Amino acid sequence: MDTVSIFIPCMVDLFLPHIGEATVSLLRRAGARPIYHIEQTCCGQPAINAGYREQAKKAAKHFIQVFGDDEEVVSPSGSCVCMVKYHYPELLAEEPEWRSRAEELSLRIYELSQYLVDIVRIEDVGASFEGKVAYHESCHILRGLGVSEQPKKLIRAVKGTQLVPLNAADTCCGFGGEFANRYPDISESMVRDKVGDYISSGADVLLLCEPGCLLNIGGFLSRSHPGKKVMHLASFLAQHQETTNHRL
Amino acid sequence: MKQSARDEILSKLKAAPRKPIPSRPGRPVLREISLTPGELIESFSKNLSQEGGIVHRVKDRREALEKLSQIAKAEGLKKVMVSTDDVIASLNLSAWGKENDLRVITSQDFDSRDSFKDAVFEEVDAGITGADFAVAESGTLGLIHDKDQARLTSLAPILHVAIVPVERMVGVYEQVIEKIFRGKKNLPSQFCFITGPSMTGDIRGVPFKGMHGPRKIIVILVGE
Amino acid sequence: MEVKTEQFSEIAREELRKAYTFLKAGANFVRMRREAALSTFPDAAAAQAYGAIIRAEAISRLPELLEEFEKNALSNGAKVFWARDATEASQYIVGLAKERGIKYVTKGKSMVTEEIGLNEVLEKNGVKTWETDLGEFIIQLLGVTPFHIVGPAINIPVEKVRDLFMEKIDLKEPTLDPVQLGHAARIFLRDKFHRVEMGIVGVNVAVAETGTILNVENEGNIRFSKSSPRTQISVMSLEKVVPTLEDALHLVRLLCRNCTAQKLSAYVSMDNGPKKSDEIDGPEELIVVIVDNGRSRIYQDEIARGAMRCIRCGACLSGCPVYRQIGGYAYGWVYSGPMGQVLNPLLLGLERTQDLYRATTLCGSCKSICPAGIDHPGLFLHYRAKDVSGDAILQTRKPPMMERIFFRLWTWAVTRHRMWNWGVRFVRPFVNKQPHEGMLREVGGLFKGWFRSRDLPSMAKKTFHDRWIEMQKENSEGRNQNERE
Repeated sequence: MDTVSIFIPCMVDLFLPHIGEATVSLLRRAGARPIYHIEQTCCGQPAINAGYREQAKKAAKHFIQVFGDDEEVVSPSGSCVCMVKYHYPELLAEEPEWRSRAEELSLRIYELSQYLVDIVRIEDVGASFEGKVAYHESCHILRGLGVSEQPKKLIRAVKGTQLVPLNAADTCCGFGGEFANRYPDISESMVRDKVGDYISSGADVLLLCEPGCLLNIGGFLSRSHPGKKVMHLASFLAQHQETTNHRL
Repeated sequence: MKQSARDEILSKLKAAPRKPIPSRPGRPVLREISLTPGELIESFSKNLSQEGGIVHRVKDRREALEKLSQIAKAEGLKKVMVSTDDVIASLNLSAWGKENDLRVITSQDFDSRDSFKDAVFEEVDAGITGADFAVAESGTLGLIHDKDQARLTSLAPILHVAIVPVERMVGVYEQVIEKIFRGKKNLPSQFCFITGPSMTGDIRGVPFKGMHGPRKIIVILVGE
Repeated sequence: MEVKTEQFSEIAREELRKAYTFLKAGANFVRMRREAALSTFPDAAAAQAYGAIIRAEAISRLPELLEEFEKNALSNGAKVFWARDATEASQYIVGLAKERGIKYVTKGKSMVTEEIGLNEVLEKNGVKTWETDLGEFIIQLLGVTPFHIVGPAINIPVEKVRDLFMEKIDLKEPTLDPVQLGHAARIFLRDKFHRVEMGIVGVNVAVAETGTILNVENEGNIRFSKSSPRTQISVMSLEKVVPTLEDALHLVRLLCRNCTAQKLSAYVSMDNGPKKSDEIDGPEELIVVIVDNGRSRIYQDEIARGAMRCIRCGACLSGCPVYRQIGGYAYGWVYSGPMGQVLNPLLLGLERTQDLYRATTLCGSCKSICPAGIDHPGLFLHYRAKDVSGDAILQTRKPPMMERIFFRLWTWAVTRHRMWNWGVRFVRPFVNKQPHEGMLREVGGLFKGWFRSRDLPSMAKKTFHDRWIEMQKENSEGRNQNERE
């Protein structure tokens, strides 16, 4: 069995650990042996987004130390994978040894749906769900990584599930990390539009691959449309007994 | 002595860090560069029609003048400003005007800018010009402005009629640049690409023609 | 133009109340039309990439291209004036107008003239200015700033235009038909074009190898300002130059498709100096005013100068999910949308444009659309980093102390996983004060913006990290058990 190292973003670790468990479960089902380095902490995105590059470099180096020897690294998040793939090499550009380790690592890190479909070459993970689902195309996953077909292939392989079109599927949901808190009026208007599109799609569940989008859309639904479901694709496919005590 | 603005600006720019110049791949070429003459005409007509222009095809000089008569009648033309470029000159429009009961004037009839402007802004119903090029890729006319091709003739009147021999049809802009500009010492004071009538959508995105320039443009392509 | 960049949040809030449904409803339509226009290239991606390379080369070679342009423009018979800043440029143009006894000028749409506040300076000096692009004409009469860089009056209701025209341009019959309103403007401005003696226009592209200046338009107002008067002034911000005519026309192909979904706009007019002596119309003198206004300063920053590639197509506005919500006013100055977010901070200094490079989700739509290859998200991050490290070129602000302390602590913890996990455990009870069905409605007084309209899951009692360690323990105990058995 091939080992694959999993990178669990801090948002998932702290608030949505069941997505981490779903990730483990899916990788096992796909015939891999997931391992988790307990030394991992955070990819450094909050620092680089706030302009604290020196601090982000330290986080990057720590990350590279933790994951540097792994053959493959997989994460249920697009924005964190983008951080490692695209920002680490430019962040460490002035330190040639670190830069080449970063460039090397950037070739071996994957978003989860990308890994399952493109690397493991599996689409049917044995899940079933009777109903309609819609898929929200998160910004870093679609435009950052070019990943769009892979999640849809996984969804279409779920028995009994109908993937329905979502209007403005690739329009940003309004999360943007600090943006949602600093510009709440704009963010709220964006997530309200996203939820409006979800409701008019007629889908029973909205699926996505980005924990940030999940917190944003899910947080808004929890407050204003408590019945409506949004799920991370990993949870949807793993179909665990719910191990969370909350709605997302 | 205080540095001139020019020298100060340039020296600041030159003092900045130099970035390597990216190498260029081949220039993307449009399909129209390899069309046959017949295909070029078709492409030109389709593109110009899409932008709201009207295209007529005629065989020769005689048919061109007939078409012009039809247009004059349909548009109720009484007085027209015509260019004196080689195409228009060859048509003897002053004779045609007499036959069709309308006044034909040219920019050469005026000895001052102001009197020419009065005429072209207020007295004429149409401007009739030739064109130096027709470009298929976008349904575009290319006009070199000089003493025989006044700028306002194709701009001020509400109707612009252009008569273009098909031999002047090319596929893409690069071919026009080659002919007018490449290695030439004396460049025209102004060269204009005209594609369709004047247009705007500035009020609530509602499009309409004839904002400031002509509301209608009619191109008569002459030749086989 | 007055700078209101520090009122971003207030203006945005006001604008959100207006709920610009036409921006949202139009977004799909505009996008489809743009994509259809780009698909007329055999390879749209290659065409866009080539545009990006042209602009990258132009910016890399800026000083030598400007010198080459000037040399050729001068030999074409044009005059060239260089202006360090807004004052030099405006004063020079006022001087030209006064020398020639000019009573009024007709203006073609030029954002750099808005940058330098030219109209105000002319009016103060007794020279009337008439904006002639329909959208600019409307906002000039209304006394408002542009809503969109391409369609500055696109948000103005027809009723308002009707009332405006009845009041200011002698519209006789009240009408709500945009076509008739446009016609009224045509008649009014035609008289101005007829008798104008000085036309002031912008420059879309300048060509180094020939000294040519190009204007791209649909209405014809720019051509009028370059044909009717004896004096033509073309105002050019110094980044507009490109090496060759082929380059210029490739950019014009991209500009028209990205801007208005056309293969080519109605008129592309290319000037090589003033009219020849035997021409009856056209300018007797053509003066190019090259404006710096901060660009040679910005140019010192190798990354920031990427923003100077912009060709003003406005496609980024149409693709931006934030612009779609708030419209153009909130950006507070000449340039709006993502291109305004990268340009205004450079021209005005980072300190008073804080919100412009933070009010973004970094969604990347702008970058994916841009025919000039600008990396807007990368620039936003660059400006934020410069704020933290401090930078005189970009005129940064100092980051707040609490923020700097926070990130120092954060860094210390992020490199020490035991401290990190201990910190999580420490913080949890404070965060999870009052969960409701597992969701938090607030966290003390923090993150008020988030919690106004959203819940947050409570922090898990066991993080994934904890659960993994548990699972490993269970597995090894199970193995030990099996071994014993």
